[in-house]
Parts: sequence; C-alpha cells; structure tokens
Amino acid sequence: MESATGRQIRCVVVTPETAVLDEHADFVAVPMYDGELGVMHGRSPLIGRLGVGELRLRRGSVNQRVYVDGGFVQIRDNVVTLLTERALMSEQINAEAAAEELRSAVAKVGKTEVEQTEIKKAQARARVKVRVAAKA
Amino acid sequence: MANTRELVKRRKAIRNIRKITRTMELIATSRFKKAMDRATQAEPFTRKIAELAADLTANAGAIRHPLLEVRETTKNSVLLVLCSNRGLCGGYNGSILREAGQGFRKLKADGVNVAVEVSGKRAINWCKFNGITTDRTYTHFEDKPKFEEVNELAERFIAGYVSGKIDRVDVAYTRFLNAARQQAVLETILPFSGPAKTEKAPTGPKVEYEFLPDAAGILEEIVPVSFKARLFKCFLDAAVSEQIARRVAMKAATDNADEIIRSLSQEYNRARQSKITTELSEIIAGAAALE
Repeated sequence: MESATGRQIRCVVVTPETAVLDEHADFVAVPMYDGELGVMHGRSPLIGRLGVGELRLRRGSVNQRVYVDGGFVQIRDNVVTLLTERALMSEQINAEAAAEELRSAVAKVGKTEVEQTEIKKAQARARVKVRVAAKA
Repeated sequence: MANTRELVKRRKAIRNIRKITRTMELIATSRFKKAMDRATQAEPFTRKIAELAADLTANAGAIRHPLLEVRETTKNSVLLVLCSNRGLCGGYNGSILREAGQGFRKLKADGVNVAVEVSGKRAINWCKFNGITTDRTYTHFEDKPKFEEVNELAERFIAGYVSGKIDRVDVAYTRFLNAARQQAVLETILPFSGPAKTEKAPTGPKVEYEFLPDAAGILEEIVPVSFKARLFKCFLDAAVSEQIARRVAMKAATDNADEIIRSLSQEYNRARQSKITTELSEIIAGAAALE
C-alpha cells in the first residue's frame, strides 16, 4: 500500500515466543521508558529502553494499537524493531478483563517497598491495557 | 507343532499393539512439527537480543552485571531437571537423568547444597526412587511451554542469584542440535555467560546509534532478558527433543511389531500346512487299510 508520501517504515514486534507483528506504516509511536517517541521515515539509528505503554502505527487513515510491556527498541535503516516480553494486539485485550485487573490492582495494599512497587507496576500495566482496549 | 489357535491369538494382539504404536508415532510427528514451529518462531528474539548486545558492547565496552559475576565459592546451587511427563519415548528420560544424577553427585561431593527442581513426572518418580528430595516439582510444562511460565522460574533464579541465596544454577535437558541429533546435557546457566554472540561478522560501516537512556544502562537491562530467553530456549529444546524421541521410539516399536507379525504369520501358515498334510496322509492310510 502506497502512502501519501510514499515513504514508509517497517515495524517489527518480537516476543520470546513469536513475532507478533511485521507491518509497514507511515508513522510509529513507540512507548519509551520516559515517554512516547514518534518515528517517521529517515529516523537516525537508535537503541532504547521501552516502558509499559501503547505502540501506535498509522498507515494512511488506519490506526493500529499494540500493548507493549517493557523491553527494547532498535531503529535502523527505517526498520523499527521492538523486543518485548509481552505484546498484545488491541483486539486481543478484553476490555472487561482489563478493567477488572485494574480494579484488583488498585484495591491491593502493599506492606513492603518491594510489594508497593510491584503493585504500582501492575496498576500501570492494567491502565495501559484499559486504554488500548477502549480505543480498539 | 505350535497350536494354530494360539498363534492367531498372538498375532491379533500384536496387530492391536501395532495400531497403538503407529498412532502414537503419528501424534508425536504432528506434535514435533508444532513444537519445532514454536522453536523457530522464538529464534528471532534471541538473534535480535544478541545483535543489540553486540552493538551495545561496541559502544559501551565490557558488560558488568550481577548475573555475570562468578562467585569464588559455591555454597548453594539449584539443579533444574527437564524431563517428560509421559514415558514411551525411548532413552529420552534415561539419558537426561543420567546426566542429572552425575551432576548431582558431583556437586554433593564438593560439599554444595543442591536444591533440586524437576519438571516432568518421570523425573519426579526417579528422584523418589533414588531418595533425592526435590524442592520444587512441575508437571505443567508439556509440549508447549509458555514464556510466562518459564519467566516465573527465571525471575526467581535471578532474584536468588542477585541476593546471594543461589550461587549457581544448572539445567539438565536435551539440547536440540538438528532433527536427527539431540543430546542430553547438563549446562550451567548461572553465572550467566552473557548474551549469545552473533555469528555473522558486522558488515558495512558501523552504525552510529543514539542511546536512550545510555548504552551501559540498556546493556544492563539486556542481560536478564537474554538470560530468560536462554532458559526459555532450554524448555523449547526439551519439548522438541521429547517429541522426536517419542516418534523414533514408536517408529521402532511399529517396525518391530511388523516383523513379529510376519514371522508369526509364517509360523501359522507352516503349522496349518503340516496339519493338512498329516490329515491327508491319515485319510490315505485309512483308505489303503480298507482295501
């Protein structure tokens, strides 16, 4: 599919189990550890850490959303490669289950510091899932 | 001369067994294909991680990470044994357990506390039989190990190693070399030997990367991930190898059954023929006596 500019980038998402996604897009927004990073054709090479968040691909007027749970990103030669432990397409996320997960994560109380950070992480994951599912 | 009835009965029984072994062979073949697909799908991740690590080391120098540290003295170690839940797979479990047993005795002889973790009913029974106390047992790793399940184990090993509760982790499993060769091995996965090196030499000019946050920081994060991938690969290899071993064993059993059926048929035909001959000669003898 040719886009308006005719210059696309390839986006690959790989988990330890399988390659989840391999598509071309006009624009990719990658969830980094400290915020979102937009990538278009001609981006200079980069290696970075991912955070928990939502990966967005735009191709023409079609938007695609993927939930990504940490990992790494490598950008070179107009190929964006995401290595993550878990990736879910927006269709794969059940909105109700995600909402339930968020509720239970919020309800939990951590006694030790380790527990508290774990709970915070779980909450962040659930929030992103809810967000990705809501827009699907 | 053997009783013909007996022979027919035996032949029938062996035919039935043959049907079962043949079916098991087919099932193992299809499972092997699926397991193999999973293993090949998992490959890009390991390859990419290795590529990233290579690029990063080129920029950040040597890697330093708690998982890579080799302890001077080993006090507590973990031995993880990956076997199958089911039997009828030839020497698959036997060779793994032989490796595991040797490793276990060697560690014990060195005065190391060994915590044994086993996966698969066969290994659990073996430990019971040999009087080895197991710390944890798993039976849920079938022919499709999930990363999340393996991740739990990996996280525990990492936490244990970093906090100093564990000084060493060994895995006894069957390494998949190719479709015709698998090898039972005992490997030390902690202290970790570092992300696998890429085989291909870097081609073309070196790419100047931008790093977020910085090369050393990312490298540090890559080590545990590549350790997890490594452990996951052990499970995938074990799953593939198990199916191959079962297929080979069942193929041999089917071939054997074929041979037995053939020889029994031959024996049966001979017995029948000699019976007919005896009867005929009796009749002829009887007729001759009447004349």
